[in-house]
Amino acid sequence: MTVHGWVFFSLMLFALGLYAVLSRRNLIAILIGIELMLNAASINFIAFNRFVADDAAIGRIIVLFIIGLAAAEVAIALSIVLNVYRQRHEIDAEALDELKG
Amino acid sequence: MIAEGLVVFLTLFGAILAVTQRNIVRALFGLGVALGGVALAFLLLNCPFVAAMEVLIYIGGITVALAFGVMLSSTGRIEPPEGAGRRALAAVTAVALFVALAVVIWTADFAQPASTVEPDWSVGYLGRFLLDRFNVVFELLSVVLLVAIIGAIAIAARYDSPDPTASEEDES
Repeated sequence: MTVHGWVFFSLMLFALGLYAVLSRRNLIAILIGIELMLNAASINFIAFNRFVADDAAIGRIIVLFIIGLAAAEVAIALSIVLNVYRQRHEIDAEALDELKG
Repeated sequence: MIAEGLVVFLTLFGAILAVTQRNIVRALFGLGVALGGVALAFLLLNCPFVAAMEVLIYIGGITVALAFGVMLSSTGRIEPPEGAGRRALAAVTAVALFVALAVVIWTADFAQPASTVEPDWSVGYLGRFLLDRFNVVFELLSVVLLVAIIGAIAIAARYDSPDPTASEEDES
């Protein structure tokens, strides 16, 4: 598969993640969509690293950083979800509208 | 070619499962399948170390953490489906983004590597980069992880609130 094929593959993954983020109301389901989008970005980096870049290390290092940041992001997001659940006994994104104008 | 097709099929199958399943545990299982497919894709793209990290951190860490989140925040009732208008709007947005980026990718001409020297794919080369050129980023990321862990504990910790209305809502 050429670099075009891999980028199309990651684009499909990204579109699916975006659909999940926009259509879901469960906060954890939204997080799942964000993870899919992050993985799509990682596939892009690895594919360009494999086929286009001169140096084989930069793309892999960036993907390692993405994985580390994703771990931190999930830890924070899950603690927020648990806090929301403790206060309202549901994790519906539509219900969090106190700051709505 | 067959292996690549299988990996793409597996990943997209898992992702579709993760996006469409109403049951959140099934969606989480789909995410696990999709992440395994992404790890296999990394393996096919000549990056076994990154694939191992993907399996360790994403499948072994993030998916399990999300499973704990599901268990701790279970409402015990079947979720009502999202409105058809909301799903249609999300689908239109996602398809529009897909088409727009697909046109750009289709017309793009990615340059081939200029040098003919075979790049070094070893993990040792990667490690030297991490401790040499990307040392500051590497250390910064460790600080970010530390702050994230402390912040997650601080947010999720249960405090005894002096506010009577807040303690009234507390389930204990």
